[in-house]
Amino acid sequence: MTDNNSHIGRRTYLKLAGGAAASAALAGCAGGGGEETTTTPTPEETSEPFDVTITQGQMPSGLDPQDHRETPTDIVVLHAYEGVLTRDAVGAVQQALSTNYERIEGENAVRFDIREGVTFHNGDELTPEDVAYSINRVVDENVGFASPQSDQLAGVAGAEVIEGERAVKVNNTSLNPIVFSEFATYLDVMQQSWVEENDKAFISQNMNGTGPFQLDSYTEDEEVVLTRYEDYWQDPAAVDTLTFRAASEASTRVNQLLQGETDVIVNVPPQEVERVNNSEGARVAAAPSTRIIYNAMRYDLEPFDSVEFRQAMNYAIDLESIVQNVLGGFGAATSQPTLPEFVGHNADLDPYPYDPDQAEQLVEDSGYAGAEIELHTPVGRYLKDLEIAQAVAGYIDELPNVTATVRQRDFGSLVDELLAGSIEARPPWFLIGWGEATFDGGLVMQALLASDGTLTTWQNEEFDSLLEQAGNQSGDERDATLQEANALAHEECPWIFLNQQFSVYGVNDSIAWEARSDERIDVYDMSQK
Amino acid sequence: MSLSRFLIKRSLQGLFVIWGVITVVFGLRFISPGDPANVLLPPDVDPEVRAQVIAELGLNEPLYVQYWDFVSGIPVGDLGLSLVTRTPVATRVITKLPATLELAIAATIVAVIIAIPLGVVSATRRHQPADYSATVFSLVGISTPNFWLGVMLILVLAVQLNLFPTSQRPIGIDGIVLLLVGGNLSAAFDGFTTWVWHITLPAITLGTYFTALITRLTRSGMLDQLGQTYVRASRAKGLPETLVRYKHALRNTLIPVITVIGLQLGTLIGGAVITEAVFAWPGLGTLIINSINARDWPVLQGSLIVVAVGFVLVNILVDALYAYVNPQVAYD
Repeated sequence: MTDNNSHIGRRTYLKLAGGAAASAALAGCAGGGGEETTTTPTPEETSEPFDVTITQGQMPSGLDPQDHRETPTDIVVLHAYEGVLTRDAVGAVQQALSTNYERIEGENAVRFDIREGVTFHNGDELTPEDVAYSINRVVDENVGFASPQSDQLAGVAGAEVIEGERAVKVNNTSLNPIVFSEFATYLDVMQQSWVEENDKAFISQNMNGTGPFQLDSYTEDEEVVLTRYEDYWQDPAAVDTLTFRAASEASTRVNQLLQGETDVIVNVPPQEVERVNNSEGARVAAAPSTRIIYNAMRYDLEPFDSVEFRQAMNYAIDLESIVQNVLGGFGAATSQPTLPEFVGHNADLDPYPYDPDQAEQLVEDSGYAGAEIELHTPVGRYLKDLEIAQAVAGYIDELPNVTATVRQRDFGSLVDELLAGSIEARPPWFLIGWGEATFDGGLVMQALLASDGTLTTWQNEEFDSLLEQAGNQSGDERDATLQEANALAHEECPWIFLNQQFSVYGVNDSIAWEARSDERIDVYDMSQK
Repeated sequence: MSLSRFLIKRSLQGLFVIWGVITVVFGLRFISPGDPANVLLPPDVDPEVRAQVIAELGLNEPLYVQYWDFVSGIPVGDLGLSLVTRTPVATRVITKLPATLELAIAATIVAVIIAIPLGVVSATRRHQPADYSATVFSLVGISTPNFWLGVMLILVLAVQLNLFPTSQRPIGIDGIVLLLVGGNLSAAFDGFTTWVWHITLPAITLGTYFTALITRLTRSGMLDQLGQTYVRASRAKGLPETLVRYKHALRNTLIPVITVIGLQLGTLIGGAVITEAVFAWPGLGTLIINSINARDWPVLQGSLIVVAVGFVLVNILVDALYAYVNPQVAYD
């Protein structure tokens, strides 16, 4: 696939150099007599190898699956490491290293039965001890290190092996309604002895998981090469060699794809979509992601303290047109803080319609006619973030009784203000995005809209009590409570509801593959067309 | 002043400059927005986890402690650990240096091969079509932005005409050397052609401005020399015109040109940032861009220190060489 060019790959030349050195040594021993030694490696298989190269925006920050917090790293390590549960392409929870998962009656605990016949890449068999150790390595600072992922398993106190059974018991601090959701998204299982025998530097440069691919070579900042693991507990992957590279420039990635130098690229900008689709040999694949883009308005400041004014802002914008024209259709209009694929989504709510007259009237009713407002937005962090902000402010500015402008912000300094801990430090009106890989609406609302949420700009007692109620419920009951919270948020408009972001990929036409909604690229799912 | 005293004096000055760079870069870190921890961790991280990470990275230490930790490591080659990968900065920077040097040298070669003949032709055919074309060429070259030229070269020569690859550096000089040492001549030759094939577009992109500059310089230097008395004397003696032009006049013209080439090499090392980003060239420039995006200050500081050291070294060398080549200049 990628080796259709006649250049020599790094691994090839190392092989060549090694072969050359070996043959030179042999020739030396033989005293220069005898036949010439061939140094050209012969292809091991007769059929064409199925090699795939993926170019992301950045390289992984290391290979320790429990010591990072970035999607690009996740995408790489998830081909070598697996969890007890996983998700399919649309986000539904699936079994992985566990064959059964259930709540333990009468206790705040859950049980995972660990699959048999699974081996790590070093050949050792997976044991329940490995699973328990991996969980404890994340949640317990005394086991290993302070993992930056400990809050991804929020509510998990620790894990232990159930005596005499091939099962692990996970203890929770409370009922923890989202525990299976968390385990389906996070927690990569590592081998206890391998982790304990090696130092941190080694673990971050090497891999020993149970996944369908094993590490071949890792060159920091340049490439990660993985090969198919033949003893995988499911069918071995169709792909022989999987290479990860990075190019921070979107246009560089697109050119690499069109040239056949890479097979899958991330984040194709909307203006490049046509070029990819019109090319011979590549296409665009897109999927709704778990990221929601919204405009927060601080409830404690004029003019946003008026619910009429906040509603007016939602009526004032033509969201459908923004999705079509700014995002090129790669987005979906939202009506609530929870995305359609998530637990707690309320399907009865529609996005606010575009109604400038209604908006103008509501502004009058709010008593804030003549208001001047400024939208803080990051640039280049989300798909077309600045353009979305300009469109939103443009529509609002068209109202005869409101003046709106955009202020471009450096992402780092904007986040500093958002994370300052108090609502007073946050800008009055800002654009930001939030991804939630657990597919749980409750977590999103807790973080963004609860009174004590990480990024909150709103306080509403009724809303808080609904979230609290949901925290002690599970299943359909919890879902219903969260739907009610969503309806309240829709009515009260703490945000201007914007779009669900799409993940847009460029893919080589000879590969059969569908984009996923959790921003992961699953090469195990790929096949040759 | 003797050469050795000159070198000592300039080295001390150089150290002072490097220390200044370190201090400025270190200071920038504290006035620039964006807490590294906030960029490293997504906003939804638990505040306790955030505090742990900050403590682990040493970002909660007082300023002077962080400054001292940083400066005291430099003499022994310890540039600290990357905030993102937690690996030694020195290793990361040093492993990126060959790619950037290769690119800078290739760009210089492109520039010298094109610029010097062009400058000479332009000076000897003053006010003729050749001269005008050379002038237009340098004007266009000087005013073309790097990133635009890079993107255009990729679009036309790589994507449309399929003559060159768009990016990557599959083999470096180090790889070719490895093959040569192994005695594998044919693979080394293949490696070399691969290298040339991949480096051509980035080298042209990076070298264009430089080419234009040297063309102008050679032209004016040559014109200046051709008007000198010694040239007229040589002609009067009956020396052939080619000998006068290329042996005598060009040699004297090249003295200042060599100085500029040397100085520009330093600029190219630091200025490869955009070119490297466009061609995904795994050198210091790409490292700098990525560490800015990730707010990976130790890596950024380390890269800038290496660039500064390189620049200072090249400067001293060029000054020494210049005085050596041109005895009219004294070491002072």
